[in-house]
Amino acid sequence: MQPSAISRQLSAKCRLLALLGMTILIGVLPIAAQDTAVVLKGGKLLTVTHGVIENGVVVMQGGKITAVGAASSVNVPSGAQVIDVTGMTVYPGLIDSETSLGLTEISAEAMTNDLVEMSDEIMPHMHTSEAFHAESALIPVARMNGITNAVVAPEGADTLPGQDSFIQLAGASATEMLLIRDNAMPLNFTGNERRNKGGFEKRKFPSTRMGLAAQLRQAFLDAQDYKAKWADYDRKKADAIRDKKPEPLAPKRDLKSEALLSYFDGNKTIVLAAESPSDLETAVSLATEFKLKFVLNHISHSQPVLDYVASLKVPVIVGPIYEAPKEDERYDTVYSLPAQLYKRGVKIVFASYSAHNVRNLPDQAGFATAFGLPYDEALKAITINAAEIWGVADQLGSLDAGKTANVVVANGDPLDVKTDVKQVFIAGRAVPMTDRQVRLRDEYSK
Amino acid sequence: MRFISTRNLAFHCVWLTMTLASAFGQSAGHHDVVIKNATVMTVTHGNITNGSVYIKDGKIAAVGENVNAPAGATVIDAGGKYLTPGIVDSHSHIALDDDVNEATSPITPHMMMKDAFDYQDKAIYRALAGGVTTSLLLHGSANMIGGQAVVIKHKYGASRDEMLFPNAPQSIKFASGENPKRVYGGRDQLPSTRMGNFAVQREALVQAQDYMREWDNYNEKVKRGDKDASAPKHDLKLEALADVLRGKLLVQIHIYRADEMLTEIAMAKEFGYKIRAFHHALEAYKVADQLAANNIAIATFSDWWGYKQEAWDAIPWNATMSMRKGVRVAIKSDSEDYTRRLNQEAAKTMRYGGATEEEALKMITLNAAWIVGVDDRVGSIDVGKDADLVIWDGYPLSSYGVPEKVLIDGDVYFDRALPGLGTTHY
Repeated sequence: MQPSAISRQLSAKCRLLALLGMTILIGVLPIAAQDTAVVLKGGKLLTVTHGVIENGVVVMQGGKITAVGAASSVNVPSGAQVIDVTGMTVYPGLIDSETSLGLTEISAEAMTNDLVEMSDEIMPHMHTSEAFHAESALIPVARMNGITNAVVAPEGADTLPGQDSFIQLAGASATEMLLIRDNAMPLNFTGNERRNKGGFEKRKFPSTRMGLAAQLRQAFLDAQDYKAKWADYDRKKADAIRDKKPEPLAPKRDLKSEALLSYFDGNKTIVLAAESPSDLETAVSLATEFKLKFVLNHISHSQPVLDYVASLKVPVIVGPIYEAPKEDERYDTVYSLPAQLYKRGVKIVFASYSAHNVRNLPDQAGFATAFGLPYDEALKAITINAAEIWGVADQLGSLDAGKTANVVVANGDPLDVKTDVKQVFIAGRAVPMTDRQVRLRDEYSK
Repeated sequence: MRFISTRNLAFHCVWLTMTLASAFGQSAGHHDVVIKNATVMTVTHGNITNGSVYIKDGKIAAVGENVNAPAGATVIDAGGKYLTPGIVDSHSHIALDDDVNEATSPITPHMMMKDAFDYQDKAIYRALAGGVTTSLLLHGSANMIGGQAVVIKHKYGASRDEMLFPNAPQSIKFASGENPKRVYGGRDQLPSTRMGNFAVQREALVQAQDYMREWDNYNEKVKRGDKDASAPKHDLKLEALADVLRGKLLVQIHIYRADEMLTEIAMAKEFGYKIRAFHHALEAYKVADQLAANNIAIATFSDWWGYKQEAWDAIPWNATMSMRKGVRVAIKSDSEDYTRRLNQEAAKTMRYGGATEEEALKMITLNAAWIVGVDDRVGSIDVGKDADLVIWDGYPLSSYGVPEKVLIDGDVYFDRALPGLGTTHY
């Protein structure tokens, strides 16, 4: 027998063992009652917040992580279901900071898409939560690779396309999966929002960046006026009640202005997208003018102004790093952007900017390390950093007691393309490790 | 930058001279090079740890733990690094300056992609920096029968003719399914259905048979000495189709659904030509037996899916499931983006279905080279083959390995350590 044939046989045996292991993992878990503690024992824990623990233990109960530590230091509750994950790597569920999950099924089929409303550029009253399709076949595909949470954003074809949702990738219905509705609002200023396609006769306002900026400014002013009008009304109404006079007529409600107003107090986050330095500075000046709290998005071609970016002291959703460099730029200009930002002290997160390819989110983080981003920072960029930016760091983003039990068990390094995720827990429950693709594979493997 | 400014030119010349002088000694033309101490991933005969490759006149002259090389050869120490054959991308549309589809008629076999080849396109360089040394630049999929492909070597900075893969066989692109339907159906033209697609294809091939018959008759008459024989009209389009029927062209078919694969196989038998490869072929796993029986390879994606209806049944196990049924499988990019990291795409087959390292690597080297018809020249580290090689700073079948140097025909064309673009010839 040729050596290669032997190694093939051996690897076939290894595969079989791995498959068996997976089956055991899945087969045993559903038996456990909801309140029974589940213990992952013997794995290598990537806690994210307190280093790597070899031969560690994670205890999950009531949907939460209740204990994390070295095998020697964690008490396993009696009656707990103990799963031996020796040889496996255990890490927190990954967070994708921009997706269109639940808004699309088949990209080219218009009726399956609810990505963005193109009838106007100012659409802050669109709520992705109201289009989110919890039963999308794409969601199990994504979570099979350990992505447990994501920001669902409308496509960036409008300057203000609507509001994001922060989701969990498992749950009985959309209600359960939509952890936070309207958690943030994109403000896009990349030039792609212009209505300038075709000849001059086909163009309409706003067909230039001047138009986009003027329209945005007017929308924010309208919202301010709207706020003043209601304040005025409230005052007059109170006076009327006090003086026992007829109440004034209430102003007409304006949903767009109301949506914008909820971002004026600095509590909610604007996701400010730009690519080039000039667009970035225009967008930042607009946001500053109206005192909006923002994080940056993309900035893939803003390498000349990274010190300026750092001076803003805001986090950046970076990339995608697969964006092509500009004509004269070196091949790795965008690949190295995460590392360049990190060096300047900027908090970064990654996003798939995708629906079908959400599962590849960790590959991007891994690839960024080949261009200078430290490994730990790459992992943080799809876990704790994202949790912090989206205001859920008390619940997600690390293996820490008290957090939601979103936990991934894989056969190796989470950031390597070859790594196979064996089991995902969401809110302490083992999610079925199957999806449409697995079912097709099995059907045609018979 | 399409044209080098005078100032830059001067800079590049000085720099180039320095680079060449330091890397290769003084002689012009091809240089003797020895790459030492690398983990040599040969693709055909396993890995050699601490292996060496001796390159003479642009060809691989020796491979092994130790090689005999003349004292004057330039030595590249690749200690701790990996050496693979250059990546072959068997499905690409880069460097065509948007002239990918002559979408004005569903049958355009006489379009020559070489005529649109934009050899200064930076996409060639970016792919080179990702380890790609050979690409098959295909016509798009708007037409049932598109144009004829050009095979290039990624010698970024060289002249156009230097970048053409010498004596590569000619490939022709066919397509099927949604794209021709959409393009012509959208204009209320034939084809707007899959029935229409195949009818258009069959009709064109029937015309080509007639054309061949006319010419055969004429040639026969001439042979008999018939002075009155008048030559039929030359028709570029039918001539190209006749070349399909004569088996002179490698037929590369854009296709998604399994049923369409079976129809294309039947059509090929009806007209007596062979299909070299199904491209995309996302449902190949459903009919892999039939593909293997007809010696049809696939050039597929690792895990793309769901972007259109006919990609809805795509599964990431397609490559490995088809491979185990005996199909020759390549992973290709079809993308200016993915062509820069095909090594990672190939690595995914190790995860989805447990391809071995060698099987995975073969999908972006030797198997892809077979599809292009140049597997006797590139695609593995074997004596006599072109010295198209990539030195990786880390394990290439991972998220982490990136090319440090890329050689084509024994010359370094990309070196990550160099400033600027990292190119040596630009």
